[in-house]
Parts: sequence; structure tokens; C-alpha cells
Amino acid sequence: MKRFLQDTFFLRHYLWKYRRLITIGLLTLITVDGLEIIPPIILKNAVDSITAGADASALAWLALAYIAVALCQSVCRYGWRMYLIRTSMLASRDLRDRFSRHLFGLSSSFFDRRRIGDLMLLATSDIEAVRMMIGAGILTLADALFYFLFIPVAMYLLSPELMLLAFIPLPIIPWLVMRNEKEIHLRFARVQESLSRLSALAQENLSGIRVVKGLAGEQAQLRRFRDLGEECSRLSMHLARVQTAFGPLLDFTMSMGLAFLLYFGGRRIIGGADDALTLGVFVAFQRYIQQMVWPMAAVGISLSHYRRSATSTGRLQEIFSETSDVRDVPNPIVQAARTRGCIEFRNLHFRHPGATADVLKGINLTVKPGERIAFVGMVGAGKSALLSLLPRLYPVARGTLFIDGVDINDWPLEDLRRQVGYVSQDVFLFSESVVENVAFGIQDWVERSGETSAVHEAAELAGVHEDVMGMVSSYDTRLGERGVNLSGGQKQRLTIARALARQPAILVLDDALSSVDIQTEERILKSLRERPHRNTEIIAAHRISTIQDADRIAVLEDGRIAQLGTHAELITDRSGLYWRFYEQQRLREDLERYMDLDQELS
Amino acid sequence: MKPPHHFDFEEAESRMAHPGTARRLFNAMFQHPAILTLGCTLILVGTAAALVEPWLFGFAIDQAIVPKNSARLVQLAMVFLALIIIRVAATIGDAYLFEALGQAVTQDLRVAVFSRLQRLPLAFYDKNPAGRLLTRVTNDITALADIFSAGFATMVSNALLVAGVLIMLVVLSPQLGLITVSVFPLMAAATVHFSRQLARSYREARSRLSAFNAYLAENLMGMRVVHLFSRQKVHLQRLSRLNQRYADAQMSTIRTYAFLQPTITTAAGVSMALLLWFGGNDALAGRIQLGVLISFFAYTLALFRPLREIADKWNIFLSGLAAAERIFSVLDWPTEEDSTEAQATPYPDLKGHIIFDNVWFAYDDERWVLRNLSFEIPAGTRLGIVGHTGSGKTTLISLLMRFYEPQKGRILLDGKDLREYDRRRLRASLGLVQQDVFLFSGSVAENISLFSGKSDTASTTVLEKLGLSDGKLLSERGGNLSMGERQLVAFARAHESRPRIWILDEPTSSIDSESELRLERVLNAEAIGKTVIMIAHRLATTRACGQIIVLNKGQLVEAGGHAGLMSRNGLYARLFRYQQSLG
Repeated sequence: MKRFLQDTFFLRHYLWKYRRLITIGLLTLITVDGLEIIPPIILKNAVDSITAGADASALAWLALAYIAVALCQSVCRYGWRMYLIRTSMLASRDLRDRFSRHLFGLSSSFFDRRRIGDLMLLATSDIEAVRMMIGAGILTLADALFYFLFIPVAMYLLSPELMLLAFIPLPIIPWLVMRNEKEIHLRFARVQESLSRLSALAQENLSGIRVVKGLAGEQAQLRRFRDLGEECSRLSMHLARVQTAFGPLLDFTMSMGLAFLLYFGGRRIIGGADDALTLGVFVAFQRYIQQMVWPMAAVGISLSHYRRSATSTGRLQEIFSETSDVRDVPNPIVQAARTRGCIEFRNLHFRHPGATADVLKGINLTVKPGERIAFVGMVGAGKSALLSLLPRLYPVARGTLFIDGVDINDWPLEDLRRQVGYVSQDVFLFSESVVENVAFGIQDWVERSGETSAVHEAAELAGVHEDVMGMVSSYDTRLGERGVNLSGGQKQRLTIARALARQPAILVLDDALSSVDIQTEERILKSLRERPHRNTEIIAAHRISTIQDADRIAVLEDGRIAQLGTHAELITDRSGLYWRFYEQQRLREDLERYMDLDQELS
Repeated sequence: MKPPHHFDFEEAESRMAHPGTARRLFNAMFQHPAILTLGCTLILVGTAAALVEPWLFGFAIDQAIVPKNSARLVQLAMVFLALIIIRVAATIGDAYLFEALGQAVTQDLRVAVFSRLQRLPLAFYDKNPAGRLLTRVTNDITALADIFSAGFATMVSNALLVAGVLIMLVVLSPQLGLITVSVFPLMAAATVHFSRQLARSYREARSRLSAFNAYLAENLMGMRVVHLFSRQKVHLQRLSRLNQRYADAQMSTIRTYAFLQPTITTAAGVSMALLLWFGGNDALAGRIQLGVLISFFAYTLALFRPLREIADKWNIFLSGLAAAERIFSVLDWPTEEDSTEAQATPYPDLKGHIIFDNVWFAYDDERWVLRNLSFEIPAGTRLGIVGHTGSGKTTLISLLMRFYEPQKGRILLDGKDLREYDRRRLRASLGLVQQDVFLFSGSVAENISLFSGKSDTASTTVLEKLGLSDGKLLSERGGNLSMGERQLVAFARAHESRPRIWILDEPTSSIDSESELRLERVLNAEAIGKTVIMIAHRLATTRACGQIIVLNKGQLVEAGGHAGLMSRNGLYARLFRYQQSLG
């Protein structure tokens, strides 16, 4: 019950927002249920007038009244469906909107932690479960309640005694519901658990199919799957044992009412003790009792909707309680239109949210405006972590990272990210046209001015303009799933163009040229030096060719700067990490050249 | 004819028509004749009781209440009570039995699908990501099971009830019966019309929903970029528009439904009114008894309620049928035909003499991954295969395991074409330790026996020698083991079948030197007189092999011993020098 109140509290916003629709819907629903009283009374009058031998015109009026009631009910049925069910749909639309808005506000550390598939499941099936609960769940419950409000009253007015008789078996129902509810919940959870075990087994098997086949272990796997599946069936039957009897038992209690009516009501009519109890009343009661079967079943239905949505609301609330760890400070300092591009790391430490060890262990470095600085280091040395802090993708401790002398936390995020053009190593392009992708950060401007020269310039700088012109519809070519597939190098250059289009003061390239061939890379690096509004450049790379031209090179080792200097300076230190990188690279290039040669010869 | 691995199931599905889905579903149900027969019998009993009840009520009025016959009333009330009990018991029974039937059918199909998936050629898995196949075993099966648990029994009994009521009406009074059901064809036409419309708008809603989902998923994947370029607002607006479009489509399904139900209500009202007028006049004129008329009232009510229920549940049935169609299509995918014995027996007298004879292979019929490959491994010797990433080393082994078949040339094992061997028995005879070690969640021992349940002391000894304990529980994919430990487990797992030929694909790539030493010692003891094929990125590993072949882009470019290859100063020597520089 507490759970139920919490869930309702979670939904209150949506229910309140559509209070007008809900009110109208509930009014029409009340009308439908209220009108349910009339048909049995019409039948009563018909039967009584027939026994009294009245004339046919009375019957004609009753028939017309019956049609009138049916028409009214039809109109109102249409009304409550349109109002109440529509509300549930609108509420789920709002919930989807809120869900996506919330996700858009969360930072990288959230998305590192969560799997996209899981989030999509929330956006689809969990929200759908909540919708069913708001719509069908609440609706059937209200419907049942109204029935309970009206029909017993009508019965009471016709004959209090018969009403009592018909309702003798009724107390069984709450008992049945209470007893079953807990048990069903428990057994339902067990079925879900075993289903997810089964699914995990299948998932593991399918992703490890190579191993299974390689070791001829198919039959053993199949046996395991069969066993788990059987357990699943067994548990389902265990659930069915309490669940299947529920509906028929509800029906049974009402039908018992009919039997009581037939016997006791019949005896009273035969005895003739009560003038008010005519055959017509008897028939009306029969009809009322039949009508009561539905609200009984409805209680069960809305309970099952609630059961399904309970877990979903929990899961959704969990996401809604997440907050972003990267946010604007209350009064961010408003910056000049362009920064000078002076970057200062002061004893910077960093660990990924939730991790136990620091990735960066005290970085001290000042990058002068206009400088190109490069970072090298082994995998896991902390290059990517360091670079991802510049656009503040992760939270940065106050007093450790400054741009133009201002703590990075005091920059408005949007300004900061406009100044810092960050290109990550994992390429992501949207499945839109090339021009839309490159103009990603300046779309407003492009739309307003209709001017795409900035896009072309950026593409030119990133060395991808010619590639684009060679595509079927040049800049209007669609990328992604249903569009063309680009090579890794082309994609990387497009993401660089995308960053350049915004003309950032500080350009950060995190291994963003790894798939570009060496000649093209050289050309791009050269043209970057000459780009308009050029300022500071920060480049991380594995290839020496990418970085040897930098003003200064920092060698990262285990989260610290181990060496710092120009290529020429660093290369003299034969015991340093940098020299080893350099030597490896040389041998590697020799090897690759030989391999290509070898291929041509044969 | 194209080789089987060019079969793309999505494409195939859209081509294939499945007129037989319902028939196959029925066949699956007929696999359990006892439950089915009993269930159907109970449905018939329950429906019969439900049909007699209203009639009995009317009969009691005419025979006991109106003539004021108390004794008769007691009798009839008892019969009425008995009918109710029979009906309720039968309903509970058939609901339970049909649930059992549903579970049995679900389990049968689930196992059939899974077993089918086990026998699909590996190339199939390359084309179809595991996630997509998984939905066949999970979501589709669940949708199918929903057919049964949503009340297949109720649907059947509802349909029977409608038919029964129609018959009862006509039997009780042909004239009145016809009048009552006169609105029926009209309503049926309306239902069909609305259902069609409903199917259309459902389809539209689904496609709009998937547009919303696709865009949301894309944004979630690229959220970093969205943030970096501060595009949250624009993208949210578009997302919200897509959401609204979906809501609009949903609206039209709701509207259709909102028409359907009142149509049934109105029809029921008209039907009752006709009954009141004509029946009432008949009763006044004494042409029928009052009780019969009262029974008619109850029957008319009983006629429309099942119709409403059927209309409500129709949707679940449609999606269940669609799922069944997808499930059956899995069962039609072509598989590899191999032995299905529980434990594939290794070939007993394998010597391990292997010949690659002008072998060509391509995964996609276009780009050759192996070109004209020929070499020989004498029985009982050790061969090292080296080459840069993408040179075709692992592919070569996949051919030896018969994961794939070469397009040209042949592979001989002990002088016999590899194609003449049974795949599963062949694989059981070869001890393969793969590059990407895949472990299952469970204990080390379970991973080694691959859950066949048997454990023997020999494998325990091997584990001990490798420094592992067999009881240790592994998390998903062995996440709580180091890469080195994982490779040791994989080694012990391959050892389980006492292979005649060892194939080690980068067995020590991420192992610490101590574990490597242990592994080497065990391997040396195991592999005496056996053929060993060793792929290694690290050339130090293959250095000791008597014969080394060097692959470059699918071709054999150098062969010989370590010393000879080094003095050639070719690819091998360069690879070796480069690797030494990595330290």
C-alpha cells in the first residue's frame, strides 16, 4: 500500500496536469455506470406489465427507452475512452519527454555507467507499463468502484432483503483478493527471475557460440537450456495455480448470488407474502447480479496492471533521481568573446566517477597561447582522461585547471565548450547529411545566413573537402545506417571539420588522426597551423608522426608528466620513454613498408 | 549454388510467406494430445453449463415460481447450483490445463529454437548479431506464451458460447431468435471494418514509435557530441516532435477503439429493444411463456459480452501470431548436419598429419582472406604460424575446425578430405584454445566440462598444475579472472577431450610469465607425439617450433626454422625486431 501511494505520488504531476480531461472522463464514466441501473428496471416493468396483461403500447415505450439508454451509454462510452485513455497516452508522452529531457541533462559519467540498451528499455517498455497502469489500470478500478456505488443502491431500493441475499457470498471477494495478491506477487517475481536467468543463458551461449562449437559442447548447452526452461514452465504453473482460479472464483461468488436469488426469491414470490416482490423485480435482480461480475473481474485486472507497473516506476524514478555532476555554478563569470587560449594545470588529480584509483596524479603544466602541445604515452597513461577535462566532460576539482586564468568551473559550460573544440577518439556522426554533420555546432548561423562557406572551409582545413565532393550528392550525402559508409579516416576528418566549423580558440584532438594516412595527416597538421583565428592546440596521439612537429611534447606515464620538451630535445635521451616510442615507430614503419612491398611482389 | 553462409535471415523472412503459421501452431499443440483433449472437453462442459443456466432460470420461473410449486423450486435451485459448480470447476480446470498446454508448447518451441541456433553454421552468427538472435529465444517466445496466458481458453469458450447462444435462441423460439440476432451481421461488418482500421493505425503508430526510438538511441550514443556542441535544446525539440507524432498516431487507434465498443453497446441495445417489443407481444398473446422470454433476456446479454472480450484481446493474438511466425521461420533456417550424440566422441586413431592443398577462402565471396595456401604438417610435429594482424592466421584455424569451408582447394587430415569428417567429432578431436577466451558464468569446473556435469580427476590435476581451483565461481564472461587466468581455464577446457591435435591461437598473449611457464610445462607433457599448431603474435612463443610459416595478407611468404628465417632478413626478421623493440 505504501508502495502504491509512492507510485501515485510519482504520477501526481501527470494526473493533475490533465485534471480537466480526467474529470470529464470520470463524469462520462459515472454516467455510463449510473445508466446501468436503468435496463434492469425496464425489464422489470416489462415483465410486470406482461404478467398484469397490460397493453402493447407500454411495451413499445419500454423498448424505446431501452434504445435511448443504450444510445446514451454509447455516447458516454465513447467519451470516457476518448478522455481517460487519451489522458494515459498524453501522460506517457509527457513521461517520454521528461525522460529524454532528463537524460540530455546528465553528464558523461552517467553514460559511461549505463548501457544504452537498458535506457532504451526504460524509454519503451517501462513507460508503456506505466501508461497501462494510468489508463487501463486506474480506469477499470474507477469503473468497478462506480458499479459498486450504483448497483447495490438500486438493488436496495427494489428489495433490501433480496439485496442482502445476493450479497451473502460477497465478503469472500476481499478475502480472496488479499490472500491471492501477496502470493501472486511472490510467484510472479519468481517467474520473472527464472525468465531472466534463461535469457542470460541464451545470451551467453549466443555470444560464445564459437567456443561452444569449437568444443562440440552444443548438447550440454541445450540440456542446460532445457532444464532452465523447464524450471521456468514449472514456476509459471506454480503461479497459474493461484492465478487461474481467481477469475472463475469471482464469477462463482456472483453466480452463487443468482442461486440464492432463485431459491429464496422464488420462495417469497410463491409465498406471496411480499407484494412489492414481483416477478419483474426478480428478473431485474437477475440482471443486476450478472452485471456485478464485471467489476469483480475489473479489480483483478487493475491489480495485475499495477503489479506490472510497480517495478517500472521504480526503475524510472531511479533514473530521475540521477543528477549531473557537471553543471554551471550559480553565477558563472561571463567571458570575453574569445579566449587567449592560455591553459594551466595546477597539481591536477582526477579519477573517473566511481573508480577507486586516480588516473591523473598531479599534472602541472602551463600551455601558452598559440602553442601546439602534444601528449604521448602508453594506453592507460591518462591522455584521454586529461584531454576530456578541458571541455569539462567530467567534474574537475576547483583550483586545478584554469583557462585564461579563470577556474574552469567558473566558465559557463556552453561558452567553455564553444572555446574548446574537442575531438574524441571514438568517432560519432549523426545519420544526417554531411553538411548537417559538419555544421553541427553552427547550425543556427548556417540556417539564418544560408551560407555554407564556413562548412566548406572547415572541411577543407580538415582535409576532407575533396572526399566529400567525390560523394554521390557531395555535401548533401546522407551518412549512417541507411546512408553511405565512410572509411575510418574520412569519419575522423569529418569530426575534426565539425569541431573546426565553430572556430574554437583551443583545439583538442584526442588521437583523432589515427586512421588518417600519414601524408594526409601531415597536410592537415600543417594547414591547422595556418587556420584563421588559430590559437592553442592540444594533441594526443600514438603515432610519432602526428606529434613530432609540436612546440612541446609531454610524455605521460602513469598519470604524471614524465618528460617534456621538443622532439629534438626528447630524442636525445636514450633512456627515456620517448626514444623507445620513436624506435618502435621506426621499426614498425619499416615492417609495414616491407609488407606492402612483399604483397606487390607476389 | 551459394554456400550456406550467405543466407541472411531478415531478407529471407520478408520474402517468405507463412500461410502455415496457424497450422504449425496447432501441430505444436497436438504434440500434447492428452492435455489438449482434456482441456477441450472441459471447455465444452463449461460452455454447455453456461448455456443451460439462463434457460434453467427461465424454466424455473415457468415451472415452479409462476405455478407456485415450492417442491419443484427446491429441485430446480439445486440443479442450478450444481450447474454453477460444474461450470466454475470446468473453467478453472480448462484455464489451468490451457496454461499447462501453453507452457508445454512454449518450452517445446523454445528448446527447438535454441537447438536450431546451436546447429547453425558459424558464418550465420557473423552476419546476425547475437542480440538479434536472442530476441527469438526471449521476446518472441514471451509474446507467443501471452496468447495462452491471455486466455486462449477464454477465447475458445467465448466463441463456443456465442455459437451456442445462437443455437439456443433459435431452438427456444425460432422467430424471436432470428429477430434478436438480426443486428448481428451489421455488427460483424462494423467489427471487421474497425479491426482493419485498427490494424492500419497500429502499424502507423509502431513505425512512428520506432522513428522516435531510433532518434533517441542515436542521441544517447552521441550524447557527448550533443553536449560538446550544446545542441541539447534543438535535439530535444526534434525528439519531442517525434514523440508528438507517435502520440497522434496512438490517438487514432484510441479513436477507432472508442467507436468499436459503443457500436457493440448500441447493437446490444437495439437487439434487446426488438426482443422487448416482439417478445413482449408474443408473451402477452400467450405465444411464448414468460420464462422463455426471461431466458432470452439473459441470453442476449450473454451474446454480447464475449464479443466485447474477443475484440479486446484480439491485439494480443495478432502479435502472438506474428511472433509465432518468426519463431517458425527460425526452425526453417538451414543448419549443419552433424551427429547429435550428447557427447561427441573424438576420432580414436587420429595421427595428426595435416595438408593444406591450394586453399582459397573468402568470408564474403569477394575479398580473399586466404590465397592459394599450401603447406604440410607431418604428424606429431609442431608448427608455428606468424604474421601481422589481418594476415589470416585465425581464419586458417577456423577452416581446420570446419567453422567455414574453403571455396577452392582442400584440406587433408590423415590423407582424408576434412569434409568427410563429422564436424562435432572433428572438433572434439582438436584441442582449440582461442584468442578471445569466452567463459560462461558458473564455476571453473563447470566451464571445463561445459556443464556436461562430469568431472574427472585428470582435469583436476591439470588445473592444479595450472594453479587454478575448480570450485571458483566466475562472473559473467569470467570478469573476475585476470586475462591470464582466463586463458589457463580455456586451456584446461580444451584439454578435457584429450585432443589428438592441439591448436593454440595466441595462447599466451596476455599471460604473466609464471603462468606461461606452467602452461608450457603442461603442454609439453601433454603434447608428446601430438601435432601442435601454434599461432602467436609474439614471436618469442613460436621460436621453439620446428617449422614456422609466415603469412602476409593471406599468403604464405616465408617458411622454415627460426634461425633460417632470421638469416633471410625478410618479413619474419622485421617482425621479430619490431617486437623486440616493444620489450
